[in-house]
Amino acid sequence: MNQAFAYIYDDFLSDRRFERELSILETELARRGIEGQVARLAMFRSARETIIDLACAGTKNIVFVGNDKTVEKMMWFLPDVDVTVGFIPLTQPAHIGTLFGIPMGLAAVDILAARLVEKIDVGKLDDRYFLTEVIVPATVASLEVEGQYRVSPAMGGAIAIRNLGSVAGKIPVPADAKDGWLEAIIQTRVNSDRWLAPSSLDETVIRLKHGSIISKEPIDVFMDGHTVNGFSFKLSIVPNKLKVITGKVVR
Amino acid sequence: MFNAQKSSGYEGGKGSATTIIAHGVKVEGEFTSQSDVLIEGEVHGSFSTIGMLTVGSDAKIKADVKAGSAVVSGTIEGNVIVSKHLDIKSTAKIMGDVTTETVMIESGAVLSGRMTVGVKPTGATATVSVESPRGRVNGRERVPVLASET
Repeated sequence: MNQAFAYIYDDFLSDRRFERELSILETELARRGIEGQVARLAMFRSARETIIDLACAGTKNIVFVGNDKTVEKMMWFLPDVDVTVGFIPLTQPAHIGTLFGIPMGLAAVDILAARLVEKIDVGKLDDRYFLTEVIVPATVASLEVEGQYRVSPAMGGAIAIRNLGSVAGKIPVPADAKDGWLEAIIQTRVNSDRWLAPSSLDETVIRLKHGSIISKEPIDVFMDGHTVNGFSFKLSIVPNKLKVITGKVVR
Repeated sequence: MFNAQKSSGYEGGKGSATTIIAHGVKVEGEFTSQSDVLIEGEVHGSFSTIGMLTVGSDAKIKADVKAGSAVVSGTIEGNVIVSKHLDIKSTAKIMGDVTTETVMIESGAVLSGRMTVGVKPTGATATVSVESPRGRVNGRERVPVLASET
């Protein structure tokens, strides 16, 4: 067994229908010499403690096996753990894999074996890390940028703050996770001049290193699959914080 | 979780490298940028970019504006300083002093203020006094590039 690698299986992979797929995967990992200890996520087991224990035991590469949600469960604490992160997406949604250039299923083993490691930025919302984006849906909140100016959707709109990119739609939208900037997108619905013509979606795009989301009313904010509620949220970027095994050069 | 987000008004997006202030968005304060900027919404306060500024026909800017170069189709209430070329389209309204190296003004543009054209904004050599009526600048229907009038 290769002590440098450990694999974290999401709890949904305990289902019998994944037995064969996991068996083939483990055989291929062993053939490549990158097999390692396996830990399974479970409802009453702390993912954070499991990963910290693995890192303390000398594991250098921790590979998440599952889907986007598997990665999202770890992101709030993972950048503070000194490990390189890998990902084997086995089911949809797998947009994070796409943004990292990692294909679904067995083909992801080729990426792991090649071990192209990149350091990428991670975002921070208050004290919590995020990888992909922060979303404030249908809001009247404002975005304060670097203490200099405030951007507000006049008639309401959705605000997204991207680091790696958007995984909310059917197709992932990449952002530059290596430029040291967050990308703020404010979507507003604009009515057409023509009668009965459909309204269009306009996007405001601003880059920032730090800022705040401010609202007069309490709002829900979604980040990497988690929801937080409040009036005000601080945003920042931590450059080159996370080491990731990728299948291509991340933008 | 993401289904909840999608049904609440956020629909992924297109991605872009340019700063864009779209329709229905208001910016208040001291806006500074290192990149090209497209404004279709409202800006109040002050505005500065070293890149290219494009002011859309529905845009309303109540601010002093500084830009590397600019194409203006909308309304600016404030002084405008452009390091290189300023292109003023027929739908533009500028209420304030304009300083630029070169300028092109289309017929129909409304300008009210002092216009200084030539070399860099710090040492301008040509001054054109501009007052409405609409579409006329110094009695001429269309003003060509005024780069070297000294």
